[in-house]
Amino acid sequence: MTYVISETLSEYDTPICDTLAETVKKSLRTSDTIGIDRCLQCGACTSSCPAARFTDYNPRTIVKRVMENDISVIEDESIWNCFYCYTCHLRCPRNNSPTQIVQVLKQMAINKGIGLNKLEVLFGYGDAFSEFGVSKIPDLYVGQMEDDLGIRWREFKNNLDSVRSELGLGAVAVKDSGRGEIRAILAGIGFFDRQDLLKHMAKSKSNTVDEKGEIIK
Amino acid sequence: MKQIENIPDSGIFLFKSCMVSVEYPGIESSTTYVFDKLGIDYFVSDEQSCCTGLGYYFDLFDQMSTTAIAARNFAVARKNGYNNITPMCSTCYAINKKACALLNSNDEVRSNINSVFKQAGLDDLIYEQNSLDEVDNFYHVVELFLSKAKQIGKLKLKLNTIDFSGVRVAAHHACHYYKIQSDDMIGNPNHPLLIDTIAKSCGADVVEWYEDKTLTCGAGFSQIHVNRDLSLKVTHAKLESLKEAGVELLLHMCPNCQIQYDRYQPVIEKEYGTKYDLVHMNIAQFVALALGADPVKVCGFQTHSVPLDEFLVRIGVSV
Repeated sequence: MTYVISETLSEYDTPICDTLAETVKKSLRTSDTIGIDRCLQCGACTSSCPAARFTDYNPRTIVKRVMENDISVIEDESIWNCFYCYTCHLRCPRNNSPTQIVQVLKQMAINKGIGLNKLEVLFGYGDAFSEFGVSKIPDLYVGQMEDDLGIRWREFKNNLDSVRSELGLGAVAVKDSGRGEIRAILAGIGFFDRQDLLKHMAKSKSNTVDEKGEIIK
Repeated sequence: MKQIENIPDSGIFLFKSCMVSVEYPGIESSTTYVFDKLGIDYFVSDEQSCCTGLGYYFDLFDQMSTTAIAARNFAVARKNGYNNITPMCSTCYAINKKACALLNSNDEVRSNINSVFKQAGLDDLIYEQNSLDEVDNFYHVVELFLSKAKQIGKLKLKLNTIDFSGVRVAAHHACHYYKIQSDDMIGNPNHPLLIDTIAKSCGADVVEWYEDKTLTCGAGFSQIHVNRDLSLKVTHAKLESLKEAGVELLLHMCPNCQIQYDRYQPVIEKEYGTKYDLVHMNIAQFVALALGADPVKVCGFQTHSVPLDEFLVRIGVSV
């Protein structure tokens, strides 16, 4: 059985181009004015980066590898350390955005089945959103949070409805008609196709994708 | 660039936040308490969905899906005649602003999303180009408070509530408010002072600068779950910086940051064998308290992990 990555989605976040830098510039995730071609390699990004402060993640060299069209950069584990805090984006004197570039690289990695072990633990988020129209902490992490945050937090969560009603607040979930709209939109836009594909890829651990984005089993 | 004089006080669509709703619901009740006191004209909808920001930064949601959900929420706001999208969360703020900019400037995105709406029979959701402006229709609640800082100060004096003098207060401004679309923030993104200014108007003794003021909270979306040790290292660094500056109360403007500090401060104390004499509030909870709100029935402090009881007693609030 062959699965094809939903073209409508991958085409926008990771458009297929001749070079990595072109893909970055054309991606919907990055700003229209992203200054990747103007990068001076000054290192303002790395010197202000919280991930670089504590790990070997280096946004300056990640950008350099993208400029050199080094595709192996998507396999670099360190890109998963970015906090998406946008400090590099603010500090860059040339209007470049390493954090946006890393978002594109991670989408490219995910399309090729790389890093799915870090993604599959978060799938519960998409499921909750499409059911209730609101987000929640992925179920798989609730246990860790209970261990970390203790009995006080668990009791509050158990009493959330009564706490909310004492504060004069209504239901958390979107009302029924709105939920139907949300599901119709996510289906029409291709979100479910992609989520299902990613779930399948994570489950089957089939990591090989050909040039057209088709998984080879 | 956004000017403080132009911040609206009517037509406010108070954009609900997922993490406010389930972790610190007192932020929402405090915000509406303050809005009511200030005479701000706002609307809250039970049709509005979450912005998908967490999913987007979990690398699960693509830009097109996130933009389509934003377009639906804009239609909810429009239908009710409240077009100034005003979140309590900095990620909702930045996600919605970017979605609006894309819907206005990218014909392919707009027509793709509108055709999905049409095919689903949801014609009333269709987004007309420039029906919202990505600068003039998007605000963070903290900006509304800042624009009313003088009024808040006067009202507090009149109500003769809490004396905050001598309480060492500092601010953690949320990255996604001032680092993503930095041209549209109020003030200097290298040294944000919105929360500081509001806290001063309430008479607090504000510590305007501490070493790691502009460092991220460390939550990093998936990082606290997938990369927990790294996430806590960053938060620990920031807590150390606050301890150094002798800060007793840290004020927030984003529920994700508040989770990271308030929920994980006791975890860090345990894992790093240290102790912090520091409590946390959202700026809305702080202003509500300053204007006489009940700490439990309005501010919702009972949902916090770092207990505030001792702190509140010390500043003369009965709990």
